[in-house]
Amino acid sequence: MTFQTYDCLQMLPIILLSLSGIALLFLGFQKSRALLLPATLLFLVIAFVANFLDWGKTYMYFRDMLLVNNLAMIFTGVVLLSTFMVVSLSGSLADDEDAQPAEYYAILLFSLVGAIMMIGFENLIMLFVGVEILSVAMYILTGSDKRNLRSNEAALKYFLMGAFATGILLFGIALLYGATGSFVLSGIGNYAHSATNAGGSMLLFYVGMFMLLIGMLFKVSAAPFHFWTPDVYDGAPSLFTAYMSTVVKTAGFAALLRILSVSFSGVYDFWWVAMAVVTVLTLLIGNITAVYQASFKRMMAYSSISHAGYLLIGLVGLSQASKPAIAFYSLAYSLSTIAAFGVLMLVARNRPLNAAVFGDQTTLARTDEHYDAFNGLARKNPLLGFVMAVSMLSLAGIPLTAGFWGKFMVFSAAADRGAVWLLVVAVLMSAVGIYYYFRVVIAMYFREGQTDTIRVAPFYRIVLIAATVLTLALGLLPNLFQGLI
Amino acid sequence: MSPHLLCILIPLLPLLGFVVNGLGFRKVPTSLVGIVGLAGPVLAFLCVCLLWGNFHAGNDAVIKTTLFDWISVGEMHINFSFQIDQLTMLMLGIVTGIGSLIHLYSIGYMNHDEGYGKFMAFLNLFLFFMLLLVLGSNFVIMFIGWEGVGLCSYLLIGFWNTNTSYNNAARKAFVMNRIGDLGFLLGIFTIMTTFGSVEYTDVFEQVVGMDVNAPVILTITLLLFVGAMGKSAQIPLFTWLPDAMAGPTPVSALIHAATMVTAGIYMVVRANVLFSMAPLTLDIIGGIAIATALLAASIGLLQNDIKKVLAYSTVSQLGYMFLGLGAAAYTAGMFHVITHAFFKALLFLGAGSVIHAMSNEQDIRNMGGLRKSLPITYWTFLVGTIAIAGIPPFAGFFSKDEILAHVYEHSKVLWALGLLGSAMTSFYMFRLLFLTFFGEFRGTDEQKHHLHESPLSMTLPLLVLAVLSVVGGFMNVPEVLGGHSVLAEFMSPLFDQARQANPALFEANALDHGTELMLMSISAGVAIVMAVVAYVMYVRNAAVPAPDSQVRSLPQQVVYGKYYIDDFYDRLIVRPVRGLGDAFYSLGEFVIDAVVGGVAWSVRSSAGVFRRAQSGSIGLYVLLMVLSITLFIALRFFNWKVFN
Repeated sequence: MTFQTYDCLQMLPIILLSLSGIALLFLGFQKSRALLLPATLLFLVIAFVANFLDWGKTYMYFRDMLLVNNLAMIFTGVVLLSTFMVVSLSGSLADDEDAQPAEYYAILLFSLVGAIMMIGFENLIMLFVGVEILSVAMYILTGSDKRNLRSNEAALKYFLMGAFATGILLFGIALLYGATGSFVLSGIGNYAHSATNAGGSMLLFYVGMFMLLIGMLFKVSAAPFHFWTPDVYDGAPSLFTAYMSTVVKTAGFAALLRILSVSFSGVYDFWWVAMAVVTVLTLLIGNITAVYQASFKRMMAYSSISHAGYLLIGLVGLSQASKPAIAFYSLAYSLSTIAAFGVLMLVARNRPLNAAVFGDQTTLARTDEHYDAFNGLARKNPLLGFVMAVSMLSLAGIPLTAGFWGKFMVFSAAADRGAVWLLVVAVLMSAVGIYYYFRVVIAMYFREGQTDTIRVAPFYRIVLIAATVLTLALGLLPNLFQGLI
Repeated sequence: MSPHLLCILIPLLPLLGFVVNGLGFRKVPTSLVGIVGLAGPVLAFLCVCLLWGNFHAGNDAVIKTTLFDWISVGEMHINFSFQIDQLTMLMLGIVTGIGSLIHLYSIGYMNHDEGYGKFMAFLNLFLFFMLLLVLGSNFVIMFIGWEGVGLCSYLLIGFWNTNTSYNNAARKAFVMNRIGDLGFLLGIFTIMTTFGSVEYTDVFEQVVGMDVNAPVILTITLLLFVGAMGKSAQIPLFTWLPDAMAGPTPVSALIHAATMVTAGIYMVVRANVLFSMAPLTLDIIGGIAIATALLAASIGLLQNDIKKVLAYSTVSQLGYMFLGLGAAAYTAGMFHVITHAFFKALLFLGAGSVIHAMSNEQDIRNMGGLRKSLPITYWTFLVGTIAIAGIPPFAGFFSKDEILAHVYEHSKVLWALGLLGSAMTSFYMFRLLFLTFFGEFRGTDEQKHHLHESPLSMTLPLLVLAVLSVVGGFMNVPEVLGGHSVLAEFMSPLFDQARQANPALFEANALDHGTELMLMSISAGVAIVMAVVAYVMYVRNAAVPAPDSQVRSLPQQVVYGKYYIDDFYDRLIVRPVRGLGDAFYSLGEFVIDAVVGGVAWSVRSSAGVFRRAQSGSIGLYVLLMVLSITLFIALRFFNWKVFN
């Protein structure tokens, strides 16, 4: 293997994140936990800056294993920003006796390495490695609340289901290799082009492609491979749910976008109907089931399924326009989701559920994450109410928020392909979405409740405000971001 | 400073004032509120002066500043950009100049009010949107400003929001403006689909080659004019403006007399190429304008509320401006916008000073003889009255006369009707002046005791505006009186494209000097005669309008009841719409209940399957996944026809 010096230097984010993860583990030996959070944030900022050093250039690294171009940098930027926000909402970990923040932060940084690999892979091996790095980290973080039965259950469930999906993914990669003799995306793409032109059976290739896609669809929780999502998102600590539903989803969609546009665009006619069916199922199940949830957190789990559906629309309408559309959507979705979870954590923190009401052991460690917990929130905490309201509006896709433009862009990508019936379903489902997103807004502004003034740490407050301002700014000036791509 | 920077600073300065006073409401000390509120407009005015220098130095060439590409959809790019040309410069001068004076006045008028900071913040915000409206280089930016000023107008009319009738007035203004805005919006959409752009320069260039009275141009211009009707209070959307007097008087002066309500005229002049290509629309505008001018003037004859008289007068004067536009006399229309801004702002501020002195009394039947205790107010109000009545050589004479001269070229009947309106204007304005400032004081003793001239911050704007009302007309003295029509020459480049597009429209037979002089003397004579009539009635005979309780003759009653247009709208539109709404509501309740109930029932009955699926059992999850994978692959490979 010939390493050239610039190879290492230009791959800064991956290297930096790995090293800083190890550094954090060492920092964890210290008695004081005060340094951990600022150190993690600092590392993330450095990685963020390093990521954009190569702006405007396209490089292939490690013998065609990884590609870095503007789109990859944007996606990397989105996951780094999301992680930065999630980490900055984790201040309370330092006071938690049971928590091991050093390990959590290190795992988060390691998992980001996997996410970045998924964003820029050029070789299916890198995809697999990236998916596994990210997934294993997630299994651990889901179970990080060790005393909590639900957290344990969710982790185990996630692990078993994830292992199953990984098997299918690996199976798909193997079949594709068998059919094409290559792991490289462009090689597979060339095969697809020439083989379709030559005629003849491509059974092996198609089965491999489906297996691979199904494995990835599992990771982004598209129906009917979504069953794990509500249980896992609900059981995991809210902080890591926020991380999973944003970073993992962004990376998963970046990977899907990459493989579909590079390797499988030649056989678009073969897969698009199947993807469209998955999309419709995801939209229906995500939105309709979300309506019937009493718990805000569980609603957010279904909401993340439904947003996977909207993002899939961008993939079904695969074109040059899909790339900025999916990147913009991921950013808009991540900002609002993290802000919403940020408010949820504050609201739920001081509201342990009365065990007597539920009467079983598992609820002992639960906090109240129901809609009712938000009753009257906006009266005493106008800032939190506003942050939450803007997030909900953005998730529902109301104009003047980033979410509106995200939806608009993926929809118009699909409209260019003529998939009108898909858009009809999507628009109807967005209307359903308004119902359950606005329930929170109504609870906060129009219901009576005995919420006290919630103390918000200054930095926490800044992050929430920044997310809200960014959501509104992107809603008013979508071209600010679009211009970058 | 570079003109581009100035362009950005001009709207930004009032916005800053809004942010400081708005966010810091109740925290910024009262003494600072006024300074902050005033600084924005005054600095913006200075910027406008500098910009004027720049503009002039560049030989009056159009300056364009693009801040950023705002919305890109397909082939369509909407820039957030500003355009400086003659029209924008004139409007900028009016908005920031008169805006500054009225902000100064507001400090004196409002500083005892509980919501002083809020008031100044709203006023600044209004200025920001108004500047956006006139600065924008495309229809979308104009629309943002258009909606923004509508919002501020709503907020300020209902400023004293503890009073229900004030709130209703605010709501009425908002709803009526929405009707107009819908027309404007549809017009913009039609422009988008027709020309593929909303940028003024792009659109107007494409118009030049089209047919006169082409259906699409007619559609666009009529829709745009519907927007203008709403904002500039023309029949049938004018009834909101008199009600809008519920707002504090500086608001009436700034928004509902000098600036916002002239946005409709600005828009027509801005899109003069489009309108010149649609003479039919211009005729419709002329018809509606003269009807509005006469109707509003006649209502003004019998009103007894000092602000209501001025409000109807504003509606009527706006009619005159549109009358000029209808005769394709765009310069004359803009000229009247400028002079009207001077004298109507002056009159409103004078009325405010009177109301201030009379402890919030607005009924002129309870006033009288105020000229002794309010000398500055009296003299300035007198100047304003002479100006609006059209008595030479004050500002209103020149502008109104120019409009009437152009109308005369166009149609003699319209001219005669215009003259009638002018006579009524002179009468009701002098009636107002005499009833307020002459004769004996008719108010209570307590009011008499309180009578006082207003503070300097209020009288200074009055004096400045009075001077402008006297000399404002000299900026466009016609040749027949030895002038050079400076304004017309200045604005001439604006209409090059229109002349090129539809030369026939501008080939009107120019009047010879004799006719022109005759027309002038007739209109001046009529104005003076009506002033004398008013003097005889209300000073010599000391007549005082009858109290509301007295029975009036039928025609008088109809006019006094404002032709019952409000009641007519109420019966014809408001109540049926409400009834329809109620009907839909009850029907909707029924249908929606049925649908929701049905959906809930079917979901509940099918929820069993869902719930069982989401049971938490991993074995089942895996089984379901395997089943779906099998199903997908099976359908895809063995029964391909199902999908295709």
